[in-house]
Amino acid sequence: MSSTDDVRSCCTRRIFLSTALSIASAGAVSLLLSNEAAADNKPPHSKLSTYNGDTDPYPIPWLDKNGSHNQPAGPQMEPSHIYHFKGRVARCAGFVGMGTDNMGNRIAFGTPTTDYGFMQGEYFAGRTPQTGAFTHI
Amino acid sequence: MVAIPEGGLIISPDGHTATLEMKDVAVVDQPKWPALDAVGMPATMSFRMIWKATGEKVIYDDPQKQFRVEGYRATAQLEAQVEVPLIGFSWKSDPLSESSANFAIIGDEVNGRYYKPMK
Repeated sequence: MSSTDDVRSCCTRRIFLSTALSIASAGAVSLLLSNEAAADNKPPHSKLSTYNGDTDPYPIPWLDKNGSHNQPAGPQMEPSHIYHFKGRVARCAGFVGMGTDNMGNRIAFGTPTTDYGFMQGEYFAGRTPQTGAFTHI
Repeated sequence: MVAIPEGGLIISPDGHTATLEMKDVAVVDQPKWPALDAVGMPATMSFRMIWKATGEKVIYDDPQKQFRVEGYRATAQLEAQVEVPLIGFSWKSDPLSESSANFAIIGDEVNGRYYKPMK
């Protein structure tokens, strides 16, 4: 049976990375919201705040223009999603693989934008160096 | 982007191999992404991913964007499991050895205030 014929085609048509990218976007946004706002799924308070007092990583400025905070991995592309960063990084894109859902359907994962990575090291936020490890999934 | 818990990331002493493993990461399942009307549902994802450096060295240096990467092209493999409880859906990949990535890199990066142009 074709996966697209399944009554849950919205599920079986899924391409694993599409899910992952959604995750990444949501994750990045949540890091930029206050913890309270993110946890309650409410808009942030109208009171203005600055990054100066926050220890969360600062996004790459030119990747933020569309609110996605990232770009696909590739040659000559910056691997980190964190600005003012130094440390270990790894990125990968264009995964090819297969899997099986709970109905026994074989479903491939991987698209040109299937993109994962990590950043581990020092970043500058809250006017002082911070350390941490983060992943983009 | 999410924080990696303690022990989730293991990098070999020479920096040539990295293993990232996380369990039950809260994610949003959004099969129709990036469509504007894409519906998202809460899901969890567990995965293990391994990067291994090849012998091909790379240096990306961009003074305009203020970043420099020194590392290696790499191979990357992934195994994962996703669950979407609201619709009773789950998916599990084949073993890690069955996957591959068209592009991968592993190395060290500096950017922003840590960046100094090469002379």
